[in-house]
Amino acid sequence: MPGDAGRIVVSGLTKTFSGNVHAVEDLSFTVEPGSITGFLGPNGAGKTTTLRMILGLATPTRGTATVSGQRYDALRDPGLTVGAVLEATSFHPGRNARNHLRVYCAAAGIPDTRADEVLAQVGLTDSAKRSVKGFSMGMRQRLGLATALLGNPSVLILDEPANGLDPEGIAWLRRLLRHLAEAEGRTVLVSSHVLSEVEQTVDRVVIIARGRLVREGTLDQLGEGSSTGTIVRTPDPNGLTAALSGANGTLQPDDDGRVCIRGMEPAVVGHAAWQAHIELHELSAMRSDLEEIFLQLTAEGGDASTPPLPGGPARGAHPPGPQGPPPAGVAPTPGRSGQPSGGAS
Amino acid sequence: MSGLIRAEFRKVLTTKLWWGMLLGSMALAALGVIGQIASNGTSGNDTPGLDTTQTQQSVFSSAGAAGIFIMIVGIIGITTEYRHFTSRPTFLIEPRRGRVIVAKLLVFAVVGIVYSLVCVAEAIAIAVPWLSLKNVSVGWESKQIIAVLALTALGVAIYALVGVGIGVLIHNQIAAVIGSLAYFLVIENLISIIPGVKVIHKFLPGATANAITDLGHYNHDLLRWWQGAILLIAWGLFFAVLGWVLTVRSDVP
Repeated sequence: MPGDAGRIVVSGLTKTFSGNVHAVEDLSFTVEPGSITGFLGPNGAGKTTTLRMILGLATPTRGTATVSGQRYDALRDPGLTVGAVLEATSFHPGRNARNHLRVYCAAAGIPDTRADEVLAQVGLTDSAKRSVKGFSMGMRQRLGLATALLGNPSVLILDEPANGLDPEGIAWLRRLLRHLAEAEGRTVLVSSHVLSEVEQTVDRVVIIARGRLVREGTLDQLGEGSSTGTIVRTPDPNGLTAALSGANGTLQPDDDGRVCIRGMEPAVVGHAAWQAHIELHELSAMRSDLEEIFLQLTAEGGDASTPPLPGGPARGAHPPGPQGPPPAGVAPTPGRSGQPSGGAS
Repeated sequence: MSGLIRAEFRKVLTTKLWWGMLLGSMALAALGVIGQIASNGTSGNDTPGLDTTQTQQSVFSSAGAAGIFIMIVGIIGITTEYRHFTSRPTFLIEPRRGRVIVAKLLVFAVVGIVYSLVCVAEAIAIAVPWLSLKNVSVGWESKQIIAVLALTALGVAIYALVGVGIGVLIHNQIAAVIGSLAYFLVIENLISIIPGVKVIHKFLPGATANAITDLGHYNHDLLRWWQGAILLIAWGLFFAVLGWVLTVRSDVP
């Protein structure tokens, strides 16, 4: 299929385990080349099962998953086309890092020198001759990435690659993924159960919960509908209300004495308070909290009986954004199953 | 395919398992040979004297005791992939899993041959000087002894195939190792003494392995040596094919 190079197409994918447990149900989405797509959902949402089906390690009950227009096991050189990391545990503890890579060099017909190249790329050159059993979780993640990069693949599929990385490691991973997608035009699909982990890295998100697609689109589309605003704390909320005649509605302080003003920048609020001689104890920007939207979306997914999220809109005066209707521009879930594979562009 | 075979050789040679297990195999082979020579002629042992061809054959073929150990090498060679989840990168690079299994069978056949040659050489190094100290000459001229040495090596090597077959069938390393040890050391011996079922005993893996080195067909409860060799290879392949049908095609853990 020309034009499908590097594209991942998941179409009507369903996986049912024994006991009629639907791990993944009628899931469809597309991952475009040259972009980083975050594959998000809470633990147990079916992310790993989906990735395993894309990679041919698990057989779908129904539906298809293709990479570059082919099922994984029909790819001519899968080791040179797709690189994958499925949890950082796929190592023999007694084998050293370099030998681990050289095993797969031999299997995929890649020159052995490539093992040292990818070790350097992930910063493990100094540990090349150390047994994996002495590796920290972060080092295992790096070695897993090195294994994925071995065949110089055009598609990278990474399951929770940030697990076990320290903040410095996460920043490094972010730069590496950006480089791989932007400078080198590769397809990167990276899963996570924490949006904030990948928020600064991904171009698009595919969010699933309980095996079903919840939202697919760009981060901007995800953030739409949750407005910006200002948080202030003042001993005189009524005075501030009067001063901010342009504010929507009345300002109700929460138990903390904090007031949230939607649709107004901190500079505007601060200026108005200063002019009206109103004392302020706090003045800060209210960020649009994607993580909260994410939590809300994944909690809604499929199960109406889910109780309200603990740690969700904790402070009484939070904007109603997340609870509102789905933002425009982000495709809602139903009705995509009949779409032919590869038809998204 | 040649890449897969090279990859499997690297897997064997890049951990400590291969030489640890080789030392274990050599220890078992040495125990077998030493036991045969030392116990000969003692009270209650009614085997013919050390100067007979029959006894010399059983002295050398007792190096085959290493076979069980080599089988475990084969079992570990495949179950270690599932235990440490290296099955994932292995099957990602070669999604046609049958080719991986075939590569493993070939590589462990070679590993088995190397192990068995070492064990047979060790048996010679122990038995020949010891027998000459006892003023017993080894009957090389009959060619029977040389044939037995070759068949001992063959039988031991086939055990590696059986091990891979068992590993393909049972992915849990502990279960596969303990289960097969229990079978070869206990269960099959029980079958051989239970009236009614003992007629099938000679077709079972352990008995076919013993038959391979019984060149003179001294034990009439066993098959002929070549029947034993064919049947033991068949057992190994049977386990591998059964494992392929039952477990390898299913989802990789």
